[in-house]
Amino acid sequence: MPTTILESAPSMARLLARAALTTRGRGGDLPDTRLARNGVQVDPADLAAYDRVCRFPLTDTLPATAPHLLTFPLQVALMSDRSFPLALPGLVHVRNRIEVLRPVGADEALDLEVWAERFAAHRSGATVDLCATASTGGSEVWRSRSTYLARGATAPEGAPEADVYVPVGDLARPAATWRVPDDAGRRYAKVSGDVNPIHLSGLTAKAFGFKRAIAHGMWVKARVLGALSGRLPDAFTVDVAFRKPLFLPSTVTLSTAQADGGWDVAVRNAASGTEHLIGTIRPL
Amino acid sequence: MATTRKAAIVGGNRIPFARSNSAYAQASNQDMLTATLDGLVARFGLQGKQLGEVVAGAVLKHSRDFNLTRESVLGSKLSATTPAYDVQQACGTGLEAAILVANKVALGQIESGIAGGVDTTSDAPLAVGDDLRRALIGLNNARTLQQRLKAIGKIRPGQLVPEAPRNAEPRTGLAMGDHAAITAEEWEIGREEQDELAVRSHRNMAAAYDRGFFDDLVTPFLGLARDNNLRPDSSLEKLSTLKPVFGKGEGATMTAGNSTPLTDGASAVLLASDEWAEARGLPVLAHLVDAQTAAVDYVHGGEGLLMAPVYAMPVMLARNGLTLQDFDFYEIHEAFASTVLATLKAWEDADFCKAKLGLDAPLGSIDRGKLNVNGSSLAAGHPFAATGGRIVAQLAKTLHEAGPGKRGLISICAAGGQGVVAILES
Repeated sequence: MPTTILESAPSMARLLARAALTTRGRGGDLPDTRLARNGVQVDPADLAAYDRVCRFPLTDTLPATAPHLLTFPLQVALMSDRSFPLALPGLVHVRNRIEVLRPVGADEALDLEVWAERFAAHRSGATVDLCATASTGGSEVWRSRSTYLARGATAPEGAPEADVYVPVGDLARPAATWRVPDDAGRRYAKVSGDVNPIHLSGLTAKAFGFKRAIAHGMWVKARVLGALSGRLPDAFTVDVAFRKPLFLPSTVTLSTAQADGGWDVAVRNAASGTEHLIGTIRPL
Repeated sequence: MATTRKAAIVGGNRIPFARSNSAYAQASNQDMLTATLDGLVARFGLQGKQLGEVVAGAVLKHSRDFNLTRESVLGSKLSATTPAYDVQQACGTGLEAAILVANKVALGQIESGIAGGVDTTSDAPLAVGDDLRRALIGLNNARTLQQRLKAIGKIRPGQLVPEAPRNAEPRTGLAMGDHAAITAEEWEIGREEQDELAVRSHRNMAAAYDRGFFDDLVTPFLGLARDNNLRPDSSLEKLSTLKPVFGKGEGATMTAGNSTPLTDGASAVLLASDEWAEARGLPVLAHLVDAQTAAVDYVHGGEGLLMAPVYAMPVMLARNGLTLQDFDFYEIHEAFASTVLATLKAWEDADFCKAKLGLDAPLGSIDRGKLNVNGSSLAAGHPFAATGGRIVAQLAKTLHEAGPGKRGLISICAAGGQGVVAILES
């Protein structure tokens, strides 16, 4: 399996533009390439800005979702490359699992690696998992698996069934109400580099078939973890399914319930009850 | 070190409480606290006297008021050599301040002290939004013209809208009334019993004013001689016409009539050793016997925001070998009528007392005729940090009037899922 080591983070805007211009003529199986970056450190000012937007306390430990900011450009580079079988515009992030194997210090130099696997058949298309690891000194400290759905796409012959649902227990009582403002997408785009137009404004979202701008799923996930600050195990898995889009602005509720030494969580629309995110947090 | 002694409550003073943006619209926290201290000074001849310390606080505070209590002491008629410090425990502030002063008296570290609290929702500390604040800090730190221009360039017109303090829990985003409404629904607290409690509070307080009970507890301020939220003619008929303001749908029961309004005001209590009071010919209304605080996990734990006093009470009762029925008067802070009723219902509930409080038997019910006999927050209003001082002074006087050996109980709920309870005895 060939691994390409990048010297710096690729430009997200350029990758997204390239992906938009090369949607045609894609197909076949997943590439077996891996992209990597070595010795990557989080900029303290960037981390502080990210923490503020996601309501994490500013600490010397990285929030569970923070390494995703470092691996995400590599994933987009992989997906925007012509060898990737699915067109990036139109891919929907439907599930994200992160494993924190041990607390990661904010000043640790991380070796990152990303690849694609598990091309799977879904009732409305096909899914693919973008995997990532972060290691120090040769041992993994953090892993993630982001499942994307391509509607209307076809998985190769003999592909496994897609696995996009995360079962949770009863989550009746809201723990918090969040007013998610109109500019939530722009604010998260600024600190995460995820400048996908569907998050930035109503106008740009409409161009991609959404009635209004939608919140980043990873921002919702980060805010859930932020709301549970101080109540998480040192090593844990946080596995969430992104359900219906969270249109901006919205008022949503967070529900939490203790389960198996961790938590079950749900983020729903405060008025309609529409599920935006459900997930589990379990100690490792 | 000396053995402990019980701190005496010599007396109290407050200014009449005023609904937000009314009589005290132009008064600051420092103005109100200073006036309240001066009223206490006048009442007990403390002019130019150095006390052990003054402890007070405010819930809504301007950043310039970092030393609010000390500044108020310096502006008062007390000796400028009286030390002071600020505390803040949301609506528990005033009672917590009294406990702190009483504990120092009990340990012999001081002979006398004042505990108080003040709050204004009229002269509220508006803040610039976070984006503008960061831009201004950047501008302040800029050294060169280029840096300054860059910092100014980050300011956007939309950032100029100030942030008003919200009566909402930071972690849940819900107003206190919304939290109370959830609890009211869980405990099935009815609309009528809430309105009845509110009417009783107004009538009890109006009667207390009429018989002169507050003559030596309240000093007029800025043209106000009585709490301007007080409605002596309040009735069930009138209250029943009000529309619910908290809670949702058919089951909503909480109105502006059975919830406390935003209020401005201040209160102070003089505590001392018995010897100190005797040496100055001052009365001892009651002693502060014991106190207890508790906190609940209202965010992820499923407990009601204002239910912490329910948990504090059995701990304090057990330590003192008392039952809930061993009291002559009860002062349960009326943040909302439903809060008082849910608190009482929880203590009566055998399952709750067993599962949540770990008790073999429920604490039981109380004689409602002994509850808030001279009116409480629904009538007086509720300037957050000032409520504790109002209640301590009011209960101490009530006990003193009833004669020696009478016992009173205080229960105050506070934001952040906290609660403070205390026992007074004449």
